[in-house]
Amino acid sequence: MIFEDIYKAYWLKIFRLCMGYMNDRDSAKDLAQETFITVWQKLPDFRNESSIGTWVFRIASNHCLRQIEKQNRMPKTQLPAEIEDVIHHGNEDKMEFLYKCISELPESERIIISLELEDLKQAEIADITGISESNVRVKIHRIKEKLTKKFNNYEQ
Amino acid sequence: MNNNIDLKGLWNKQEADIPDTKELFEKINAYKKRSFGKIIFTNTLLILTSAFIIFIWYYYQPEMISSKLGIVLIILAMAIFVFVLNQTLPLLTKVDFDLDIRESLKQLFRYREKQIFLQTTMLNIYFILLSAGICLYMFEYALKMTFLLAAISYFTTLMWIAFNWFYLRPRQIKKQRAKTDELILKLEMLNRQISEND
Repeated sequence: MIFEDIYKAYWLKIFRLCMGYMNDRDSAKDLAQETFITVWQKLPDFRNESSIGTWVFRIASNHCLRQIEKQNRMPKTQLPAEIEDVIHHGNEDKMEFLYKCISELPESERIIISLELEDLKQAEIADITGISESNVRVKIHRIKEKLTKKFNNYEQ
Repeated sequence: MNNNIDLKGLWNKQEADIPDTKELFEKINAYKKRSFGKIIFTNTLLILTSAFIIFIWYYYQPEMISSKLGIVLIILAMAIFVFVLNQTLPLLTKVDFDLDIRESLKQLFRYREKQIFLQTTMLNIYFILLSAGICLYMFEYALKMTFLLAAISYFTTLMWIAFNWFYLRPRQIKKQRAKTDELILKLEMLNRQISEND
C-alpha cells in the first residue's frame, strides 16, 4: 500500500483519536504527524498480520500514551469528579463538550472510547489495546455510561 | 435521563484539513538530522579527548608502567561513558510503536529499568576508573617531587575524588532517578488501567 493513500484515508481518523486524547488542536495535529512519521518509517516492515487500519491505530495509540513522558503536570484524572460536574458550560458546543469529556477520562479509556466512536470492531480494539474482547465490551459500556451521565448533567 | 445521545454523530463532527505531506516529510528530515547530530557530537568528544591523552603519552613519554596504565584507564572510563550513552540514547526513542498497548507499555517499562541500571552502574564504573587512572598516572611524577609536595598533590587529588564520589555522584544519581521514578509511577498507573479485570 502506498503511504500517500494511507495518509489520506486515515489522517482525519487519527486526528480525531488524538483530539479525544488531548482536546487541543495543535497538540493533536503534532501527535497525528508523529504517528504518520512512524507509519512512514515502519511501512516497509508491515507484514499484513493485522489490517492496515488496526496497525495505524496501534501506532497512534502508542504515540498518545507516550505523551505521558512529555507531560509533567498531574494527570487530569486525579481531579475529583464533582468539580468537573459543577463547571458551568455556557453555550459550549456539544461536540466540543464530548471531546472535553473524553480527554478527562483515564488515559486508556480515552483510547478505547475513541476507537469505538471511530467505528472499529471490538475485536480490533482488543487487538490494539491487548485487552480481551469481553473486557473491551465491559469497558466501552462503562465509559458510555459515564459520558451519558455527564451529558445529562450538561443539558440540565 | 436521556440514554440516546448520538455520541458517534458528535464525534464525527470534528473536522480538520489534511495537512500537505510536504510538511510531514520536512519533519521527518529534521528528525533524522537531529538524532544523527547527537551521536556525532558525543563520539567526536570521545575521539578528541582520547587523541589529547594519547598526545600526552606521545609527547611526555612516561617511563613507568603505572603512568601508561593510568592513561589506559582514563581512556577506558571515557570510552565506557560514551558507549553507554550511545546505548541509552536510542532506548528513549526506540519503542515498537506497532505493538499492542499492553505489550508496548511492558517494553517501555523494561527500557526504563535498564536505563536506570545503566546510568547508575555506568556512573560508578566511570568514577572508579577515572580515579584509579589519575592516581596511577600521578605516581611517576610524584616520585620526582619532594615527599611533602607529593603528599600534598595526592591529598588534594584524593580530596577532589572523594568530593566527586560522596557528593556529586549521589546527587547526579538522585537527579536521574527523580526523572525516571516519576515516569515509572505513571507507567505503573497506565499498566493498572490496562490490566484491570483482565
